[in-house]
Amino acid sequence: MNNALNISSSPHVRDKRTTAYMMRVVLLALMPATVVGVCNYGLHALLVVLVSVAAAVLSEFAFDKLCHKPDTWKDGSAAVTGLLLALCLSPRVPLTMPLLGSMFAILIAKCCFGGLGKNFINPALAGRCFLLISFGNMMSSYRVVDGVTAATPVADLLVGNPVNVTRMFLGTTSGVIGSSALALLAGGLALWALQIIHGEICFSVLGTFILTIGLFGGQGFDPRFILAHISGGGVLMAAFFMATDYVTSPATPLGQLVYGLLIGSLGGIFRLFSGTADSFSYCVITGNLFVPLIDTYIVSKPYAYRKVSLLKQLRASGEPWYKRVPRPVIVLTAIAAIAGLALSGVYFMTKDTIDNQKRAAQAASYKAVCPLADHFEANETIDKAVADLNGAVYGTDFGRAHINEGFAALDEGGNNVGYALSVTSADGFDGNVTLAVGVDNEGAVTGISFTELNETPGMGMRVDEAEFKDQFVGKAVSKFTLNKAGGSTADDEIDSVSGASTTSGAVVNAVNAALDFYNNTVKGGA
Amino acid sequence: MVKHTFRGGVHPDGHKELSREVPLREFLPAGEMVFPLSQHIGKPAKPIVKKGDAVLVGQRIAEADGYVSAHIASSCSGVVKAVEKRLTLTGAMADCIVVENDGQFTCAEGFGEREEQASLSNDEILRRIQDAGVVGLGGAGFPTHVKLKPKDPAAIRYVIANGAECEPYLTCNDQLMRVKANEIVEGLELVLQLFPNAEGVIGIEDNKPVAIAAMKQAAHGKPRLRVMELQTKYPQGGERSLIQVIAGVDFPISMLPADVGCIVDNVGTLYAIQRAVLYREPLFSQCFTLTGEAAKNPGNFIVRDGTSFAELLEFAGGLKDGIALKKALVGGPMMGIALGSLDVPIQKQNNGLTLMIEDPVELAEAQMTACLRCGRCAKVCPVGLLPEPMADAAINKDYERYEKKLYGLECIQCGSCTYNCPAKRPLMQIFKEAKSEIQARKRAEAGGTK
Repeated sequence: MNNALNISSSPHVRDKRTTAYMMRVVLLALMPATVVGVCNYGLHALLVVLVSVAAAVLSEFAFDKLCHKPDTWKDGSAAVTGLLLALCLSPRVPLTMPLLGSMFAILIAKCCFGGLGKNFINPALAGRCFLLISFGNMMSSYRVVDGVTAATPVADLLVGNPVNVTRMFLGTTSGVIGSSALALLAGGLALWALQIIHGEICFSVLGTFILTIGLFGGQGFDPRFILAHISGGGVLMAAFFMATDYVTSPATPLGQLVYGLLIGSLGGIFRLFSGTADSFSYCVITGNLFVPLIDTYIVSKPYAYRKVSLLKQLRASGEPWYKRVPRPVIVLTAIAAIAGLALSGVYFMTKDTIDNQKRAAQAASYKAVCPLADHFEANETIDKAVADLNGAVYGTDFGRAHINEGFAALDEGGNNVGYALSVTSADGFDGNVTLAVGVDNEGAVTGISFTELNETPGMGMRVDEAEFKDQFVGKAVSKFTLNKAGGSTADDEIDSVSGASTTSGAVVNAVNAALDFYNNTVKGGA
Repeated sequence: MVKHTFRGGVHPDGHKELSREVPLREFLPAGEMVFPLSQHIGKPAKPIVKKGDAVLVGQRIAEADGYVSAHIASSCSGVVKAVEKRLTLTGAMADCIVVENDGQFTCAEGFGEREEQASLSNDEILRRIQDAGVVGLGGAGFPTHVKLKPKDPAAIRYVIANGAECEPYLTCNDQLMRVKANEIVEGLELVLQLFPNAEGVIGIEDNKPVAIAAMKQAAHGKPRLRVMELQTKYPQGGERSLIQVIAGVDFPISMLPADVGCIVDNVGTLYAIQRAVLYREPLFSQCFTLTGEAAKNPGNFIVRDGTSFAELLEFAGGLKDGIALKKALVGGPMMGIALGSLDVPIQKQNNGLTLMIEDPVELAEAQMTACLRCGRCAKVCPVGLLPEPMADAAINKDYERYEKKLYGLECIQCGSCTYNCPAKRPLMQIFKEAKSEIQARKRAEAGGTK
């Protein structure tokens, strides 16, 4: 009997919670967001989730087998990565996206750096950013539940359009699969209450983000504005599920606060000044990169060596306060401040250049659509009408078309030879389609030219080919109609680019809006 | 009411119901008794008997060798059979005095009669404690007379009676406090006599309501004493945790409790002090819990030093039928020592034997993953250390960072981090190895400079 006794170092009991348990809890906390996403966006969203999770787990399994590593796929961490990635994808992406993204996340970002506990950036975010950079078009196309293509609420927020916060909470807006703020909040708070994630991280990220948005967002601390910003663009996902990833966050509470501050403030700055809605992933990754530095410098002392609290230290007389703040805090704050200043500096320095280039491109396209014009002149009637529209959707028959601006076209002798109008349709397959439309004094289209077009190459992008554009030229009709079948003969019929009826429709709507504007405002008012 | 407690700590399953309500029974062993010469922290005692000598119960058989050392008394009457190396509970062979027990338990003269406290000077109290060979019965076995002689007795603010018994499974202190409350209070008052400015605080975890009631009653009407209910949480009974709660002080490992004005004694030790001072009775027996899922009749016992664990188990009814013993722990599962063989002698400072049918460590090894950096280890560390970076530094042999930056040597080896680790990493073992490696390097350096 005695020979069989086990010998080991104390302690001889262990808590029931294992790595697999922790991962299961995180998976459960993500379930509300997943279920809401699938209900809102349908079967394809479910397929994206399943492919992503399966690809992540299988990648890890394959890596373990090929490299003769212990079976780590069983611990559930790969499944968490796969699910997190899926929830950050648009429900419209082709299934190759979750497949490639998960493979990159697990094989490159995680396994190649030593597997669980060794990766230096969050694998799910690495996968997402890999996809964002490599397949920008496919990644940033979103669709709302009722089947209409739309910009995400944050994109609307950034250009100043009103957004529906209630729908953002429920996740029924256009966006990623895991876009229900309510579901994410519920899961995140549950994880915090169960002490699975550190409150120091999630609340400092959210707090600093709110502060930055409130201070620099231009609308102060208006609750609806703040709430709209928090509810969209993956802020809650990042704060509760991404930034709190154990492996890529600091070990000490103070370090976690610094890390949260960094991510939150970067998130706010990126959100307001980068002009894209997807920037939070990059902020968290930037935060990840600071973790080794933070962990090297910020090490908490045992209780016996902590003399007094930081607050008391600051209040105590004697040395000036800045000498008693730990040096790493100063260094890191300085780095964050310099990085922030540099970013905003670059933005403001390049802003004019970018605007000038845009204007030059705009001018060139006006020339292109009014072949007879020598120069352009502002027109009071047009400017007034555009100002009256105040950025609202133009008319009722043209989808979501906006009239941006318009000029009178003059020949060398200063005689009016027509007008050039800039129109945007928000109904493109991948967001906005903006084009210049030239109209002569008889109301005939003299040409169209695209100034903003982000459609699918080989499909929607083909509206920029002469074959499609030339169909409008020389025709004086009050309204064009789209012929999806092709082979049009009538003047007012436009053949759709095959396989790209959405984009073609947006262009036709935009041109119709321009014609309507010309007939009712320019001509009627002139 | 807000329960008093320290920062950090864990809540392992208590399993105290196995033996909690079983009253103390005395066990008189038969046959051979083995007395290791090192049953305390410090230098091993020197034998003062030789083979063939007759000894009586309570007779001193080994003498303290130096200041930090303690006398050892025989717990039986009989004849010295040998002074030789025997297997002890650490798994190593150590010098022992072996006595053939005659089963009569004839007592030596000079103890057993109660004397009155009023006539005793402080020096006399300390001398009697030293004569009796009293050591800390909480597990460490530090010679009590050394502990009770700090540099400045007037600076001691608290004498803490440790009745927390935070270690899972163990219940002997609970039982002792129930039946010997007045004796423990007397022992505490004797110690308080040595420290004129100190308050006596009896700290008990709130999972022992009967013991709390008994101690409160015994301490009733004594102005220098109070009973403090503590939250049930491991390691509440650690010396430093108790001082943190009662005196509100955290102090580095290089300092002793007396340096911050505290003296901590286990309730078992206080009972032994009472016996030693008022009855001149040497320490040769103590209360002891035999428990665990594998034991047929878990219970609490008064055992004599030198008894073999196996013999006690047999007396207690042996193992449950049809059950294989997987692991035997001297003490409880958090800080206990795993026995390789039950056929080793019980020592003064032992207070329990936990017999397990499962080995959670074996299971943990199967579930082990890489570190998640979840921070659950740091959250429960009662010292405020960062076990995760410590383990990293120790594994990379960066002992400079381990010691200087991470304060790794402050670890009190309570095992809370290891208990709480979801990745099931053997953190404590890593820290123990790092500590002995650092100490070995320091010794080598000291040797090299000579």
